[in-house]
Amino acid sequence: MIAPFFDSGAFSETASIGVALVIGIAFGWFLERSGMGSARKLAGQFYLRDLTVFKVMFTAIITAMLGVFWLGRFGVLDVDRIFVPETWLVPQLVGGLVFGAGFAISGLCPGTSCVAAATGRIDGVSVVAGMFAGVLGTGLLYSKLQGFYLSTPRGTYTLTQLLNVSQGILVFVIVLVALAGFKVADMIESRAAGPVSQ
Amino acid sequence: MKRSSVLRGLALAAIVLGALAAVVGSPRANGSGVDVAALARDVETEQDHVTAIELARWIRDRKPGLRIIDVRDSAEFEDYHIPGAERMPVKSVVKAAFKPSETIVMYSGGGAHAAQAWVILRARGERHVFFLRGGVAEWLDEVMNPQIPANLSREARVDADSVGALSRYFGGVPRRVDSAVPVPAFKATVARVRGRGC
Repeated sequence: MIAPFFDSGAFSETASIGVALVIGIAFGWFLERSGMGSARKLAGQFYLRDLTVFKVMFTAIITAMLGVFWLGRFGVLDVDRIFVPETWLVPQLVGGLVFGAGFAISGLCPGTSCVAAATGRIDGVSVVAGMFAGVLGTGLLYSKLQGFYLSTPRGTYTLTQLLNVSQGILVFVIVLVALAGFKVADMIESRAAGPVSQ
Repeated sequence: MKRSSVLRGLALAAIVLGALAAVVGSPRANGSGVDVAALARDVETEQDHVTAIELARWIRDRKPGLRIIDVRDSAEFEDYHIPGAERMPVKSVVKAAFKPSETIVMYSGGGAHAAQAWVILRARGERHVFFLRGGVAEWLDEVMNPQIPANLSREARVDADSVGALSRYFGGVPRRVDSAVPVPAFKATVARVRGRGC
């Protein structure tokens, strides 16, 4: 059996929903246990007091990246079946700015807002409500936004294409960048008072 | 075990796995980097080619980075070629260095040679490569000398008018099918270019 399982037909649609539920619960559990449901902890990142979010994100990125690379290399995973979202340069830059502003103001991102809402935090509930209102509003205004939404298309554009290096070299560079980032994050945190408690 | 030594061990593991990734280069089991499944998918979803009308719109709209490559011989190229095209025989195409920002559209007389060059370029790792489906013949039929039926619904009329405008942009002569039209200006070229190889 070669992964991705759903795409290669090893899972039925119903089974894939069941698998998604299990993975989703595990994801939420670990987000909450790592303290990511707390807006104070997340906002600490923007004041350079607590860089847990950065560390958790980059740990996840390099773990998944090395896993995908080596599973692909050993023939367990067909990397060409992994969906790579397309790039629309300017709309995604603007979207990133809106996302970042929302993240800094609320202290929550989409995943962590769901975790915060599930634990009964009112700020989490209001961020989730705002997120759905935004999705609905974008859907209703789509015909007006479409021109911008689809502007500056680049297709599936990846760092390997941009830098013209092999995927293996890029993997190594990202590992080194992440580890250097962890070191710098530790230095910044020890200069501040230390991680924010939940 | 102390926390710091666990962290050091994990960091070391990441560096080793990353460095090995850089050595092997590709996350694919066959290691060749030629993604045959992706090529087949592009063919099946018709992302491998453009139609003459699409190409004409790209030229008119000055699509950034567009390079049109005529793979026919120099006599055929001198006789007629698509505006803005450069001549490059297949053996040079497969060795040429293209920038990642460029969109390559290749065409031949019919379509076969350009399609074969497409496979070679995609296997070489170029991403933004297309061929003109029906070659020069399609360009002459659909852009330079399109047939526009006289009795059309209003929506079809809008489409036909845009094709007509596109044709005139390139100096073409759209034909009203049921009206008495003088001999099409490109009839001689069509007759000459037609019937030649792929």
